[in-house]
Amino acid sequence: MRAVAVGKAELKLFWRNRTALFNSLVLPLLLVPLLISVDLDGRALVVGVIGFVLLMAVYYNLVTTFVARREELVLKRLRVGELTDPEILLGASLPSVVVGLGQTALFAVIIGAMTDVALPARPWFLLAGVAGGVVVFVLLAAASSAFTRTVEMAQVTSLPVLMACMLGSGLVIPLSALPEQVASVLEFLPLTPVLDLLRAGWEDGPVLRPMLVLAVWTGLGTYAVRRWFRWDPRR
Amino acid sequence: MTAIEVRGLTRRYSGGFEAVRNVSFDVERGEMFALLGTNGAGKTSTVEVVEGLSRPAEGTVRVLGHDPFSERRLVRPRVGVMLQEGGFPPDLTVSEATGMWAGTLTSPRPVDEALSLVDLTHRASVRVKQLSGGERRRLDLALALLGKPEVLFLDEPTTGLDPESRRNTWKLIRALLLEGVTVLLTTHYLEEAQALADRLAIMHRGRIVAQGTVSEVVDAYPARISFVPPEGVPLPVVVEAEVSGRVTVRTNNLQESLHELLSWAHANGVVLSGLDARSASLEEAFLAIAEEAA
Repeated sequence: MRAVAVGKAELKLFWRNRTALFNSLVLPLLLVPLLISVDLDGRALVVGVIGFVLLMAVYYNLVTTFVARREELVLKRLRVGELTDPEILLGASLPSVVVGLGQTALFAVIIGAMTDVALPARPWFLLAGVAGGVVVFVLLAAASSAFTRTVEMAQVTSLPVLMACMLGSGLVIPLSALPEQVASVLEFLPLTPVLDLLRAGWEDGPVLRPMLVLAVWTGLGTYAVRRWFRWDPRR
Repeated sequence: MTAIEVRGLTRRYSGGFEAVRNVSFDVERGEMFALLGTNGAGKTSTVEVVEGLSRPAEGTVRVLGHDPFSERRLVRPRVGVMLQEGGFPPDLTVSEATGMWAGTLTSPRPVDEALSLVDLTHRASVRVKQLSGGERRRLDLALALLGKPEVLFLDEPTTGLDPESRRNTWKLIRALLLEGVTVLLTTHYLEEAQALADRLAIMHRGRIVAQGTVSEVVDAYPARISFVPPEGVPLPVVVEAEVSGRVTVRTNNLQESLHELLSWAHANGVVLSGLDARSASLEEAFLAIAEEAA
């Protein structure tokens, strides 16, 4: 796979970028004791941490990566080579995705062991949730980067997705604590179906609707990237 | 055989601005074709379409027989592109950046070979952000050559290079031409085009205003004879300009005018001190064209 060459270079860059390292390796780690002190339910914790990883290590990191590579004219250069457009995006996303998946596994095991969470009875729903979440948040990051002029601006332009998902997808406030009408609207946020599928790994819950919602977000994300993604800086 | 064929190319930007208007040219296999022009003449806009980065608003482009935009997959493995401003992640080293690029290619040269072609071997372990502007240009050239291209696009390849590096780059490009590589060059160094190009086109405000071999383009412009005339003797030629005693004569037939002038001087026993006769240079032709078109 030719995209791996780009992915390997990105991984080196990730390792040399202290901000990205902190955001995706240290920040979630600091979150664990905080979450454990608030909530004693291990399953909810695992689900919540995976949600945070998707938002921070995958989505936020990738918005900054796409913007940085665009402004450095790296994307423009890659586009005159042999790689196809999807291969370039895949290559650039690879380290964030790999790091995100690694963290997900690590935190799930740590928290699981600390709080005695049972092994999921239906692990395939868990996997579907993680995989779907990665795809959707990579696409959303690429779409958001189109509206972000500088790496610094990513802190602002990523806020709508980050805030909506943190506040509206049951990460901080459980959806069951909200009025039913509000909750039923929040089910359509991109992170809600991911968390639903993760929970479905352990307990009965909606499965079909979250999958459909994720499929719709994947379609919307793909459309947005094809329509708006910028390969070179605005001049 | 034609390597690059451009027919009636027009490029329009979203605001409706026409950067390139009805441009046509051919580049034969193994030939170097240079696109010259003032800043904003549309050179880069033209080349970007030929490279397949964008679709033309009107007209057709063929590179090695294929549409570079819709048949990118077929064209890219056979071409090398050096953008006017290409980017590398600043925190990669020179050899890491080259290695990454090699990993994306079908049949790359070894990284060491590519770096030695552009004299960057000694900088292999230096981070890209620590390179000088000229070194960065050479790294860009190394990447363009990495896939052993049949067609090479060079957009201002020697901008920012010191005179020695520029000569070395010219030598490298000449060697590639001898190997049969086709080169489409854009440059604003006229001596570069004069030294390297088989044929050239001069662009002005999105159009091609002159096209041909260097001598075809230059021959349309008058040659120049200058000397310090003897005092008190009427000259047999029309003086175009006089600067501190030195007169300049322009002529469309240098040999004839020079013969006339020298015969007259000989017959009259007159000395034309500081005599200088020359054909128009590409620079003069270029300036005249830019002035006419303005």
